[in-house]
Amino acid sequence: MGPVQSTEEIFETLRGVLHELFEIDPAQVTLDAHLYNDLEIDSIDTIDLILRLKEITGRKIQPDQFRHVRTVGDAVNAIHALLQNKPAAA
Amino acid sequence: MSESGTARNDTAGRLNRGWRIFATGFSFTCFGLGALLLGFTVWPLLRLSSRDARVRVARVQRAVSASMRVFVWLMKSLGLLTYEVRGRERLAPHGQFVIANHPTLIDVVFLVGFMPEVDCIVKQALWRNVFLRWPVHWAGYISNASGEGLVAACVAALTQGRSLLVFPEGTRTRPGEPLAFQRGAAQIALAAARELRPVTITCVPITLHKGNAWYRVPPRRPHWVLSAGDPIPIAGFLKAGEPAPLAARHVTQALVHWFDVSITQQLDEMRKETRPGG
Repeated sequence: MGPVQSTEEIFETLRGVLHELFEIDPAQVTLDAHLYNDLEIDSIDTIDLILRLKEITGRKIQPDQFRHVRTVGDAVNAIHALLQNKPAAA
Repeated sequence: MSESGTARNDTAGRLNRGWRIFATGFSFTCFGLGALLLGFTVWPLLRLSSRDARVRVARVQRAVSASMRVFVWLMKSLGLLTYEVRGRERLAPHGQFVIANHPTLIDVVFLVGFMPEVDCIVKQALWRNVFLRWPVHWAGYISNASGEGLVAACVAALTQGRSLLVFPEGTRTRPGEPLAFQRGAAQIALAAARELRPVTITCVPITLHKGNAWYRVPPRRPHWVLSAGDPIPIAGFLKAGEPAPLAARHVTQALVHWFDVSITQQLDEMRKETRPGG
């Protein structure tokens, strides 16, 4: 993922990841969709999702940064905020 | 049948129901008080009976299992239920991963009774339950408080050669709704690379189900059938390159299908047997 990413691009990438990891129909993935209630992503899935996002973004992600994420829109915003920061030194 | 005969039957039926409501309340009171009493006496003593944590947990679990058998015996003796176990010997070996559907409140009572040493997942609320907090504590059961920690604790139990009992539904079945499994059981089986031993539980007429109060006893004495099936292999799902969450989804789908078929068969068979004149 490049250094500058629009929220639209992040959203599309996330859609792809959700399909790749969880076979979630991209049509179901809207900004309002609730990760647990609508997309059935449980806490174990969240760990796998964060691992995959780490690989893609090349950034360190603390689970804390995703603690308040409830919807796809929240996740897009969290990733967007992550990419605004400088890459981690390590 | 004459009118007076019908009236006599109705009266007998009402009396029987009244008795079963009373006896059910009595049984559950015994269960709660027994758990409280043993939780403060026998089980802490067993817990102190060895320096080896494995030995003492095993002793408490055996005692819990025996008390569950006493409870089932009590309910059966009071005329509250009948039951049948198929393939009970299959539940005996250690280190098994047993999963079961969960139609009624007392499924775990039966299964723990049949399995002298088994780790169970206990919902967080019971760790605060005044009657059950000490028993579940002394028996070393696993709390469902955290998702990741829960799967890791279950995998650890299996890798240490202990048996594990999980109800993949996570709560009792909602009658009339499609069977829904959480993915925890599949995640554990995949992470531990263990085959699963399925137990199909059915109860006719249904009682002590989700949303039904204990005193709403069924029209006639309920019968439970618990059957231990052939193991469900997991190896076929461990495909190289497939993301773990996807594999967990596929295993869960396969398990739901297996149980759907098995429950339907078992219920059909039970209803045929209990049909009047059949």
